[in-house]
Amino acid sequence: MAASSVGLSAALFVVMSIGSPAAGAPAAVQVLPPPLMLPVRAELQSQPSPSAQKPPEEFEAISEIPPDERMPAAPMVVAAYAFVMLALFAYLLSLARRLGAVKQDISRLESELKRNGRT
Amino acid sequence: MPSWFTRTAVACAALFIAALVFVALAPYEKDMGLVQKIFYFHTPSAWMFLTAGVVCGISSARYLANHSPKLDRLAWASAELLVLFGAIALVTGPLWARKTWGVWWQWDVRLTSSLLGWMIGVAYLLVRRYAGPGSDKLAAGLALFGMANVPFIYISVNYWRTIHPPTSVVPKLPLSFGVPFYLSVTAFTLLFVMLLRLRVHLEEQRARVDSLYLSLDE
Repeated sequence: MAASSVGLSAALFVVMSIGSPAAGAPAAVQVLPPPLMLPVRAELQSQPSPSAQKPPEEFEAISEIPPDERMPAAPMVVAAYAFVMLALFAYLLSLARRLGAVKQDISRLESELKRNGRT
Repeated sequence: MPSWFTRTAVACAALFIAALVFVALAPYEKDMGLVQKIFYFHTPSAWMFLTAGVVCGISSARYLANHSPKLDRLAWASAELLVLFGAIALVTGPLWARKTWGVWWQWDVRLTSSLLGWMIGVAYLLVRRYAGPGSDKLAAGLALFGMANVPFIYISVNYWRTIHPPTSVVPKLPLSFGVPFYLSVTAFTLLFVMLLRLRVHLEEQRARVDSLYLSLDE
């Protein structure tokens, strides 16, 4: 009994002397012995800080595009503007067709009514 | 086409050409570069999408209260524009996101609620097309849900964690970005009004066809 408690104390001393818990680590992480904490600490350090993830508050102008961004962006911009124009044109065309069909119906029905003598 | 259409269409086309010229002359954004130019058409179309949702919701609510066919026509016309401008916003957004965020789509609150709003618009049109008699009231109820979603779409970026820019970006736009943007907003607004009037006119003509058929049967 005494030998086992001495062994446990010695093991605890060795574990505590290896290192203290990472500053800022969650309470649940801090109770882990340091060797077990290493992967957790590495994971915590690899995460970006909350300030790095903040969306931009405003747009800022520069004189020219950075060279590494020139090629990949152009097809996206062209595709976006082309889609807008095509969608609007297609809708306008569909409206014109539907209006034309309805106008034809109206003139046909009106002439039919006139033929029947009911204007 | 109605008589007012040609004048409005010419004004609208001139505004769009001017907007495109100013967009081409606008500076590149520091972090996003060229791809940020999608913003000048993406955001105004998203605003028109939200406007159409509000117009459709208000006219549907009023239609449910007083059964005026004019309000029903307005609701139907704006639902169609909701789907049109929503589709533009939902296609141009991912094209911008792919370059800026590295992904086409993110299931964050702004994008998900926008998709939901657009799907409500599609559901409205499907109900009007296929649900038969009484579909006008059913669709009007659907439009109320669509309208309730609109403020949620707009403010969601300020309250939930997202990489979508917050609503503070537009009021803080410098002049070099602001001129092409507001020119584009004006062009889209005029286009929205023109298309809405034209679509309402189509429904009026359809109502006229119905009344002509009735008088022919009598």
